[in-house]
Amino acid sequence: MDRRHFLGQSLASAGLLAGCASTTPINISKAQVVVVGGGYGGATAAKYIRMFSNNTAQVTLIEPNTDFISCPMSNLVIGGSRTMAEITSPYDNLAKRHGVKLIKDMVESVDQKQKTVKLASGTTIKYDKLVLSPGVHLMMDQIKGLTEANQAGVTLQAWKAGPETVALHKQLAAMRDGGVYAISIPEAPFRCPPGPYERACQVASYFKKNKPKSKVLIFDANADIVSKAGLFRKAWATLYPGMIEYNPKHNVVAVDAKTKTIKFEVQDDVKADVLNLLPLMRAGDIAVKSGIANSNGRWVQVNYLNFAATAAKDIHVLGDSIQIAPLMPKSGHMANSHAKVAAAAIVAELGDLEVNSAPVLTNTCYSFVDATQVVHVASVHQYNAAEKTFKTVPGSGGLSPEPTVLEGIYAWGWAKNIWADSLA
Amino acid sequence: MPLFHVHQLIKISTICVGLLGSVLLSAPSFAQTSASNINNRSLAATCANCHGTNAVTVPNSGMPGIGQLDSAEMLRKLMAYKSGAQQGTIMPQLAKGYTDEQLTTIASVLGKK
Repeated sequence: MDRRHFLGQSLASAGLLAGCASTTPINISKAQVVVVGGGYGGATAAKYIRMFSNNTAQVTLIEPNTDFISCPMSNLVIGGSRTMAEITSPYDNLAKRHGVKLIKDMVESVDQKQKTVKLASGTTIKYDKLVLSPGVHLMMDQIKGLTEANQAGVTLQAWKAGPETVALHKQLAAMRDGGVYAISIPEAPFRCPPGPYERACQVASYFKKNKPKSKVLIFDANADIVSKAGLFRKAWATLYPGMIEYNPKHNVVAVDAKTKTIKFEVQDDVKADVLNLLPLMRAGDIAVKSGIANSNGRWVQVNYLNFAATAAKDIHVLGDSIQIAPLMPKSGHMANSHAKVAAAAIVAELGDLEVNSAPVLTNTCYSFVDATQVVHVASVHQYNAAEKTFKTVPGSGGLSPEPTVLEGIYAWGWAKNIWADSLA
Repeated sequence: MPLFHVHQLIKISTICVGLLGSVLLSAPSFAQTSASNINNRSLAATCANCHGTNAVTVPNSGMPGIGQLDSAEMLRKLMAYKSGAQQGTIMPQLAKGYTDEQLTTIASVLGKK
């Protein structure tokens, strides 16, 4: 444990950095809010801080990518039924419609004492409130040979939608009929719990149509399917009989790029034609580098009332990077929900108003079992003051009874509306 | 070089904000807001992920729009989803997660004025 890490934890445990402690009120129109990361969490936070402050707080969004590319729906691009253009949205509406300052750059470091962030370009920006929404970092070094195999273009992760999404589809398209696609799943928690199983469906859907002798092998480090288990199992059996093989408790420890061989902690080696290995995940780099990832050094503990990091002052963390409350998935929908609660709390704190003591979060997650049929899982999370966490409401939420085309239409409706809600 | 673009972008956005000035000026100032106003808008925003920001649903997106409902109609629908009287896919499951008071607040914020 480094010194800063230790200090952060001791201060947090001493209760000296309670996230809700009100700061000296400043004129909200002079307040500088800097948001790092333009995903579902960060983009939504930038927009809603402007909205909830009635366009008074100054908000800067720092994001290195030119456009927003959605992870939800990207499995359909891998399966070939949709294109990248269909899952890409521009950032410029945040500036045009909401007055958010957009800076295309990366944050290299945070100076918590000076309350500044330093960008890769060398610029330093001052903040009164910092919002970090850096997503996940794939811990490539946890699978021996994975970094080299990825650099050689042999194994792709495609767990952040972008060039690898397209490249993975091309690998499937280039594969012979009768070939093997293997996906490995790390121990939970990871970004998008149903994502790997949906991806298996999309690859199988592509094979069924184009390469029917091919196989999909799933190697899961977990004891069972992490999300929508019954629905996925049924979809695999009915839509892709004999094509998908699910192997629980298979922990990948190494990959040999030359022979395309996967090595496991316990079981025998397996060879495949297309390897899609997902390593363990942790909070995005800037959160870990800033010393605020105080949950096993992997995730950031936050005060769920305002999403302030427990190990820092005036730094709020959203989305996949946080230490989750029970049954809270790492999803885009959830990150968007975090952002609205945080935005309301940040505006309240800057405006010297009382922070909401009873926030609500929702999650909705649609998974495509083929190109058109969909199943969902949904939940409502109310803040529990006694336990200082979010808890799902008994009797609420749930799963689809079966895959339907109607939910496929709603899934696209969800995507188009959440993209607009986050970015337009 | 990238910074130059960024500055340009900011300048353009400033101009655009300027053009939208009448909209922004007509919006309430921060002094006119309150904790309960922000909390209520934040609660209603839990609907926006699927049904659009401030109940403005993306046209032809496939998602049922809610912007045409007035507060009374919206509340009646939400309560029907909660009680099970109204069938659906996700809404019966989500509505059961809110208190009656929260549904009332949501309908009053998002209902057509």
